[in-house]
Amino acid sequence: MDRRLFLQMVGAGGLAATSVACPRFLSKAKGGPEPPAPFGIPTSCELCPNKCSVLAMVEDGRVRKLNPNPENPKSRGMLCARGNAAIQQVYDPDRLKQPLIRAGARGEGKWRPVSWDEAFDYAAARLRVTRDKYGPEGTLWSSTEGFQEVFFKNLGMAFGSPNILRHPSLCLASVNLAYSVTFGTVPSFDLLNAKYVIMAGANRFESIITPDTMDLIGGVMERKAKFVYLDPRFTVTASKADEWYPIRPGTDMAFILAMIQVIISEERHDKVFVDQWTLGFEQLAEHVKGCTPEWAEGETGIPARDIRRIAREFADAGHRAVFYAGRRSSWYQNDFQMRRAQAILNAIVGNWDREGGMVPNRKVAKGEFLFLPWDDPKASRVDEIEKAFPLASAKDGAYLPLRENVLKGKPYPVKAWMIYKQDPLNAVPDQGKTLRMMEGMDFIGVVDIAMSDTAWYADVVFPESHYLERTDPIEVMPGIWPAAVLRQQVVKPIHDTRPCLEIAQGLAKRLGLSDYFDYTIDQWIEAEAKELPVENGLEYMKKHGVVAFSEPKYGTTRNAVYRFVTKSGKIELFSERLQEAGHDPLPAYAAPAQPPAGRYRMILGRKATMTHAALANLPWLHEHNPENDLWLNAGEAARLGIRTGDLVEVSSTAGTVRLKARATEEIRPDCVFMLHGFGKKSPWLRSVHNVGAADAVLLETAWDKVSGNAAMHETFVKVVKV
Amino acid sequence: MPKNPTRRYIMVLDSRKCIDCKACVVACKAENRVPLGRFRNWINAEREGAFPRLRASFDPEQCHHCENPSCVRVCPTGASWQREDGIVMVREADCIGCKYCMVACPYGARFFNEETKVVDKCTFCAHRVDRGEVPACVETCPSRVRTFGDAADPKSPVHALLEGRRYRVLKPQTGNGPQLYYLL
Ligand code: SF4
Ligand code: SF4
Ligand code: SF4
Repeated sequence: MDRRLFLQMVGAGGLAATSVACPRFLSKAKGGPEPPAPFGIPTSCELCPNKCSVLAMVEDGRVRKLNPNPENPKSRGMLCARGNAAIQQVYDPDRLKQPLIRAGARGEGKWRPVSWDEAFDYAAARLRVTRDKYGPEGTLWSSTEGFQEVFFKNLGMAFGSPNILRHPSLCLASVNLAYSVTFGTVPSFDLLNAKYVIMAGANRFESIITPDTMDLIGGVMERKAKFVYLDPRFTVTASKADEWYPIRPGTDMAFILAMIQVIISEERHDKVFVDQWTLGFEQLAEHVKGCTPEWAEGETGIPARDIRRIAREFADAGHRAVFYAGRRSSWYQNDFQMRRAQAILNAIVGNWDREGGMVPNRKVAKGEFLFLPWDDPKASRVDEIEKAFPLASAKDGAYLPLRENVLKGKPYPVKAWMIYKQDPLNAVPDQGKTLRMMEGMDFIGVVDIAMSDTAWYADVVFPESHYLERTDPIEVMPGIWPAAVLRQQVVKPIHDTRPCLEIAQGLAKRLGLSDYFDYTIDQWIEAEAKELPVENGLEYMKKHGVVAFSEPKYGTTRNAVYRFVTKSGKIELFSERLQEAGHDPLPAYAAPAQPPAGRYRMILGRKATMTHAALANLPWLHEHNPENDLWLNAGEAARLGIRTGDLVEVSSTAGTVRLKARATEEIRPDCVFMLHGFGKKSPWLRSVHNVGAADAVLLETAWDKVSGNAAMHETFVKVVKV
Repeated sequence: MPKNPTRRYIMVLDSRKCIDCKACVVACKAENRVPLGRFRNWINAEREGAFPRLRASFDPEQCHHCENPSCVRVCPTGASWQREDGIVMVREADCIGCKYCMVACPYGARFFNEETKVVDKCTFCAHRVDRGEVPACVETCPSRVRTFGDAADPKSPVHALLEGRRYRVLKPQTGNGPQLYYLL
């Protein structure tokens, strides 16, 4: 590790240039090498994956208020509504307060509060029975992103199961794979300094991603970068865009290919860059020949003259133009190829590793705690990912294909399911199928802080301590402004709860796996802190909560000797790797199926106060979204005789729900939309239990062909007034 | 403005940057223990047009900490009062809950707090300001819509903003002299 590359913490001199969006940050710039320790206990938010830095104000052992910690350049000195509401999770009367074992039928809601010993003994015994009968591969371990997820995953692996299933295939696996195949890495987008931004498949002002959301405001509103936005819905993001196009869903790729066609045929691409750094330009030029703006107009509904103009403007902005990747989303069965098309468009204008363009992520170094390794599992994965999606990440698995296999008992039975911090019943399309999969399990154990729907159908529920009640591993956040953060304990657990590590250890002990978990969280973070680029890393982290780079670095990969981590060492416009795997080496467009008469495409999205299913129950957020409703274009609603507030029945091949209608101008006539997080089955989520409806009930099973990522926009629904 | 004030706290809002994310609203709720269903600050959303020609804008609002606060004028007990630095306050002990001030406020900034049984509203987080901090809504806003500062201090960032940009205030005709400045 070249320490010279590494900064220095935030607050060191020379920071000022990067701090446009962050005045508090600036004010600390002149104070000398170490900024004064902040007021409050620094920790790191867990309400979404952004990991913003927080200062917890504690009074009499109670968290009184959470304030943003301005030292983290990634969170830019802010805390969103969700982050602010986190205190309500700690003191939520509906929280899980001690371990529970199911006493009645699954889902009946009869629970027996038990001691931790009893819960561990019970779960370990059931896991052993499953292992004896079906082998360790008869168990499934699924989790979502989180600082302690590592301990849960490790327990599954030490247990010998190949079936470790993480969240990316419900989220950003297709994006990551597409950029990796093209550039050998997944870059960030320098929205703060971009001059021209196109965004599709991302609603960045409502689904907040740090620092992108704040930088987009900084870049677009303050510096007047041009901002073009494609979305079938008129979102807050649309309202801030210079141009909004309600594109026909599923046709983004046609728009992008036409842009590429214009840029290449008018020779507006960055020739020097393309010659030097890319592979397959000739094939690309040939491939897009027929993709004229006129053709794309027919597909997308966006006028050809606009597409042509946008392509020209984009190319003229050159290395300060970005087609933003979008994240945490996969919409269609060709999602991977659509993202590939974006990546290629970005590549040919030469925005790679430039200020205002795409920038490869840097990382803050950290150490690692070395623990005893376990043997690799003997069985192969139940989702057969190596066969079906050879390019996808086998470490993460593919959720929907996995569920299909488990339901069929193929290639072998899976009979026990351990779940950490995840609510598959709401996070995974086709709730009915997930329920059937749960019914087929001999044992289900859930670790969570609240009684999610999934926990409600479990056999054992292990209550985890809240993020403000525990210390987690140090987490590295790669990016243009990379940081490492510590989530440290702020208050004592108020109930009989434990951090995930201790839950893993409790189970490991009874499963004969203690040797692999022979450490404490303090030993773990000490080892990590040793390599941080600051003196007395751990002490520094406890005092500041974050270590970060002070300044972006552009162009480190633009040198004669750099090799991209691809087969050819170049940016692969044409990908042999894809061809060998039996996929299109260049993104080939196929028009999406159109809803048959009388049906609508169901589209998903988020709101700043409501992203994850777990947040809907927090009163300070709930009061802004008391109930979800079905957005239906006003003209269509009139045709169907539906008025705002009417109860409607919405059905797909996967299921049927009832909720209120909202007749609105703010959506295309061929789509409907509902907010995520409602219609919960668990009565312990009082404010959203049976309130509104769950999108997961309606969504059908479909996935992207290359990455296996769930395709969330492939469902057509019928709407009738009841 | 008061004659030769030593301090005059105001807020400058760049509404164009507001993304209606409600971070400010939730932060205020947390900071000031505002009961559910009641708000010291809020976002006025305006939406208009027909598909696909649509427009939406978001204006954050709260107590304007008026120069000539009508709420203070009508308060029979002196519970509503104005600090030297311009911040308009409600003294809980003196409020009898008559709600005259709520009627008198042209901005609907006040509400009756059922938990404390007195009239409540934004205080510019005076307790934070007195510690040298900014109001909770200002600190937390992802878009940096809000700038809080001392209009009497030429070095305050609010000064530079008001000098460099055009602005408006809401309902200037009331004569209340509102101190939330909206940049144009
Ligand atoms: S964006 Fe909001 S919820 Fe996510 S980590 Fe940051 S403050 Fe927390
Ligand atoms: S906005 Fe209303 S409550 Fe606030 S000072 Fe003016 S009159 Fe009084
Ligand atoms: S926090 Fe800022 S952007 Fe969000 S609603 Fe409030 S003023 Fe608007």
